[in-house]
Amino acid sequence: MAFKSFFSDYQRLLLGMVSVIGVVLLWELVFTYVIPLNPFFFTKPSLIAAAFKEQLVSGTLWKDVAISSKAFLLGFSLAVIVGIPIGVFMGWRRRAEYTLDPFFTALYASPLVALAPLLIIIFGVGLTGKVALIFLLAVFPFIFNVFAGVKCTDRLLVNVVRSFGGREKDIYFKVILPSIMPYIVAGARIAIGRGIVGILVTEFYAASEGIGFAISRFGDTYRLPDMFAAIMVLMIMAVVLTEGLRKLETFLTPWKTGQEAR
Amino acid sequence: MNTLTNFYREREQAILGGGFILLLILIWQTVPALISLPRGIALFFTTPVEVIKSFYQLVVKNEIQSHVYVSAVEFIVGLGLAILVGLPLGLVMGRSKILDAMLDPFVTAFNATPRLVFLPLLILWMGIGIWSKIMIVFVGALFPLLINTYEGVKNVDRVLVNVVRSFGASEWQTMKVVVLPNSVPYIVVGLRLAIGRALLGVVVGEFFASSRGLGFMIAGAATNYKVDVVFVGVAIFMGLSLALTHLVKRLESRLSRWRPDEVKTY
Repeated sequence: MAFKSFFSDYQRLLLGMVSVIGVVLLWELVFTYVIPLNPFFFTKPSLIAAAFKEQLVSGTLWKDVAISSKAFLLGFSLAVIVGIPIGVFMGWRRRAEYTLDPFFTALYASPLVALAPLLIIIFGVGLTGKVALIFLLAVFPFIFNVFAGVKCTDRLLVNVVRSFGGREKDIYFKVILPSIMPYIVAGARIAIGRGIVGILVTEFYAASEGIGFAISRFGDTYRLPDMFAAIMVLMIMAVVLTEGLRKLETFLTPWKTGQEAR
Repeated sequence: MNTLTNFYREREQAILGGGFILLLILIWQTVPALISLPRGIALFFTTPVEVIKSFYQLVVKNEIQSHVYVSAVEFIVGLGLAILVGLPLGLVMGRSKILDAMLDPFVTAFNATPRLVFLPLLILWMGIGIWSKIMIVFVGALFPLLINTYEGVKNVDRVLVNVVRSFGASEWQTMKVVVLPNSVPYIVVGLRLAIGRALLGVVVGEFFASSRGLGFMIAGAATNYKVDVVFVGVAIFMGLSLALTHLVKRLESRLSRWRPDEVKTY
């Protein structure tokens, strides 16, 4: 009985683990016993694990990760610093919304990565080009989420602050800022995905270091296990960041399912 | 004067929004006339008029058509494949608890990771021809469609499902009568997101390795410092993306007209 209830409680988790382990095992076994492995075309988990371990020990992968992270953090912080005030301004001032909304919507909806080659020839293949593209991709989720958050601010709270003689500053810091927090987190989740796209695009296209460069170089030199190991690292980082923010989001606003724009 | 203010009041939103964009374009156009740019910047600078001119040139010389054609094929085939795979898979995952639990780790992991990371791998497998781009468009567009279809199925009204079941409907009939119509608005939202991902796939795939297509044209023009051609490509992508998104949004509000507002906001 205890086993049965344990199974029903953790059914999802168990089934998920079973399927992941099953896929990895099947992958390994098929390429060990059934299909002869062509190392220039495919690889198998044991080789990936070996490559991963080797890169961990030698530390080359960490260097690439650190370089990409630096660009990511700079671009992302810039997006936060610029995006949130613009979003608040647009949400709070009706005329600002009318003026800026069509322009920003057009930019948000269009594939701005198309500007990547231009940014790279202007800013060079180093840090600046990457930061510029990451900023450009990550700033709009912040603007529009903060904008929506300010729009949803409870008017009653604003009026209370006003009635008790609060100033414009008090409204911003005591009402608007706390109430847009969940929206900022939601924006950050979307911005992370777009920021990683920015890293990958600039580093695939033209770079001499970084995780995206490592992946594309391993591909060009047919070092498939190393390539899969680097892809795994990026996937793990992306999953941890996005799912972490999603958890934070449901914690901050349990009533909102927050499914739009995943 | 009064009629003028009235005119402004009624159309304030359109005037301010359109005016701002026009103003930006005007400023952009007049910058080189007002201040002489240093040589380093002048190299990367172009004006809207130049962009329109070079667009005209490209069309007349019949250069741009083949690029647009290749990109369009990649976009349409990739997106089509994503719809063919994503919708059924989303429906099945939404209806079957076991499959849902088994596929969920993979869907979550692949959805959180930008699928662009697989681009070098896809190019290694399929070469720099059209198929590597179709595949990157496919994996990019698949997950938004799959996940939104899944959410749509999950959010179906249980009472309705129980009613058709009580009247002896089979799983297939339940799907057709209740589940599918209910998830259509979600699927359309998924489609809107998928269009964005698909365009991203086309652009980046062609930057990285190709010999045809709009992305290739942009990358090639950038390396040759033909900034006006870069902007022609960017403008085409922007226009396409805006037109498609607008179309799907129209579809969205049309299809969810009968729903209460709380669902519409989703």
